[in-house]
Amino acid sequence: MKGLKKHIVLFLLMVGICNNALSQSRNNMSLSHDHLILLIDLKSTRLQVDSILKAAGITNVSADMIFKGEHDNLKKDGWKVKKLQNDLLQFDLSLSALKKNPQPAPFVIFNPQKLKDNRPGYPGDVPFGFNNFARVTVHELASGQTRFFVPGNDRAKRIILSGSFNDWSTGRQQMLKTDSGWISDISLQPGVYAYKFIIDGRWTIDMNNRLFQEDGVGNTNSLYFRYNYTFKLPGYPNAKSVNVAGNFNGYNANQIHLFKTFNGWERNLYLKDGIYNYRFMVDGKWVTEGASGNDPRGTSVSLGETVDFKLDGFTKANKVCIAGTFNNWKPDNIFMQKTATGWAFPYTLAAGNYQYKFIVDGKWMTDPANQRKADMDGETNSFICVKPNHTFTLKGYPKARTIRISGTFNDWAEDGYTLAKNGDNWTISLRLKPGKCLYKFIVDGQWVLDNTNKLWEQNEHNTGNSVVWVEN
Amino acid sequence: MRSLYFYLLLLCFMGIAPWASGAHVKPVPHIIFKPTTVYPDPEPYGDFKTLIVPFKKVGNLIVIEAQVDTMYGNFILDTGAPGVVLNKTYFRDAPHIEEQDAAGINGSANGTFKTSIKHLSIFELNYDRLSADVCDLSRIENGRNIKILGLLGTRLFTKFAITVDVNQSVLFIHKLDDKGNIPAAERVFAHADITTPFKFLNNVVYLRGNVGAEKLWFAFDTGAESNLIDYNRNKKLAASMQILGRRKLTGVGGASFEVISGEFEKLNIGGHDFLKNKAVLTDLEKMGSAYGYTVDAMLGYDFYSRGIFTINFVKKQFEMYIYNRDNVQ
Repeated sequence: MKGLKKHIVLFLLMVGICNNALSQSRNNMSLSHDHLILLIDLKSTRLQVDSILKAAGITNVSADMIFKGEHDNLKKDGWKVKKLQNDLLQFDLSLSALKKNPQPAPFVIFNPQKLKDNRPGYPGDVPFGFNNFARVTVHELASGQTRFFVPGNDRAKRIILSGSFNDWSTGRQQMLKTDSGWISDISLQPGVYAYKFIIDGRWTIDMNNRLFQEDGVGNTNSLYFRYNYTFKLPGYPNAKSVNVAGNFNGYNANQIHLFKTFNGWERNLYLKDGIYNYRFMVDGKWVTEGASGNDPRGTSVSLGETVDFKLDGFTKANKVCIAGTFNNWKPDNIFMQKTATGWAFPYTLAAGNYQYKFIVDGKWMTDPANQRKADMDGETNSFICVKPNHTFTLKGYPKARTIRISGTFNDWAEDGYTLAKNGDNWTISLRLKPGKCLYKFIVDGQWVLDNTNKLWEQNEHNTGNSVVWVEN
Repeated sequence: MRSLYFYLLLLCFMGIAPWASGAHVKPVPHIIFKPTTVYPDPEPYGDFKTLIVPFKKVGNLIVIEAQVDTMYGNFILDTGAPGVVLNKTYFRDAPHIEEQDAAGINGSANGTFKTSIKHLSIFELNYDRLSADVCDLSRIENGRNIKILGLLGTRLFTKFAITVDVNQSVLFIHKLDDKGNIPAAERVFAHADITTPFKFLNNVVYLRGNVGAEKLWFAFDTGAESNLIDYNRNKKLAASMQILGRRKLTGVGGASFEVISGEFEKLNIGGHDFLKNKAVLTDLEKMGSAYGYTVDAMLGYDFYSRGIFTINFVKKQFEMYIYNRDNVQ
């Protein structure tokens, strides 16, 4: 009996699989008599129907709507619906639309207009990192520049250094031939960079660098970290191993090893701007003295730019706090200190655009000393940019009341950032993502092009957008 | 010398000079030409036998770097363009030599024009006094988030052969011997899997190919990220294709249009069968109209990424060494 049950279950399973496969094979798209024919088997799964709807470019209809017989949206788009036998529906669409607005160049068809964020070959943000060379081929010079070195290759005619630091240029960074190999010196900010060498036209990773990364589109690139921080633990001359761990690596104590020096232990690395806690582990035990102190969270380190927040007056207030995008608008989190003329607090921030407000005895207010404003969820806040990489300037408009900037960096939000008046100009500095940025100014509600920037391109309204390229 | 210029000018006005009008070139079947004015560019020069030019692939585009007057940057290698096309965003203030009509490359009437470049160089390869079209290429930039100064079309290479190795991202520009051949020592591959002649009309490379029983002239376009087939002229072929999808796209000027993507089983070029060919069905009526032709179909990345290919513009010969050698006889 048990054996019979097993056979029945297997048989039903097979019937199920066959049905499923049959349904899938009956879902189909084809062309016939100038029509696109779409066949949908109502026995198909929701996933199968959604998948063929998506392939057919139908975005406003779901599988559930097809199962319920709701075809209005399809009919509105020009599809004709016909019920065939055995739960099979036929939708057909005239291909006359193929003739509408035929495009004059292939790139119109293959390049959607929307600016894409992802840029293969450009490593994203990482909290920390360090290099791993079999033989050091990239190092910092006393001048602050970074030297890339390709050993040997004395018969090569041309070697080019190409990477995320020079927009993967295939010609700009030609390396110099020396007695022992080829060199190129460039200026790098702390961070992570992808690179390759092009030796007589042949793209190659750095064979002496053990760090590499797939770029997602079929290429492997070498990785280099330009350092900006050193963890140091004095003493412990007899220790066998010293590691550091912190909230930047989830307190993983087996990841970052320190090296012995003449008076202690240290490790250079790249650490992204931010505020971190860390602790040292010596021979498998967390140390409670020295740099780690007695705080179980460890020692704190702040990397970035120190912003001196100041609020004049309000000397009779009991409590003044700062809240902003940098602390998720927590009201009782950053307490300002009283000074002779008001309130102040130095706070370290990573590079970026921030909105903030002061909270004086529970009352929220914008910074009266800061003309630059930004809007968020209908609220107007004060605006500050740390380590800006572009300053926008609009000349003239002396009688304008408010000038804002809007662009691809804020999805063209109309209540964008407010510019401040500087003499004859209106300016704002922003931290923008590397790549192309389209923008316009809004002068008292009127959209205008940047009159200090010659670069602009046409838009769908035939009014143009200003163009700026932000370097990495 | 002056009298020579006079007679040349006279010949041009009479419509006799061979370069003066594409209308005098006998068109291949199904390809319609409109008369265009093409001015001869001075000869390129440079000290090399084979110039090795690395490129980067951006999507399915081949991007090489070049210097145009004071600007250095990215250009797309585009065999679908007859000459140099500059992006208006960066060359808006270049001298206007001639205004173009409404059917410019971007299909819009606003201000496509012809200009003159003093100097263009790609490493050791130099060109002086080139004519170029200036038009809006912002769509390529916005689709790929890469700064594009322009397109480099076929007229730049008519004295050379070019070899493109897509897998290795490198372009070879070969100087040719007296017989129009690449010197044996400079060849990138010794034996080609395909060697086939092409027609070179209005600076466009046309390859003869078969899809099933259908014989087609394909424009060979490295600027096309897939193969393209004109639906109206190839309905039989379209009906035999496996349809993979339909897409609504936004065209120049914001109007939406549709394309159908599909796959056809077998494409024969130069006696070799290429299997499972992806293609986009659309209306090619206006495609390339700026260059003075209409075309049945175009071979793009899906085709040319299957091997290292050489276009010998002097011998009018196309060669390909196929990467995947499973189907090579």
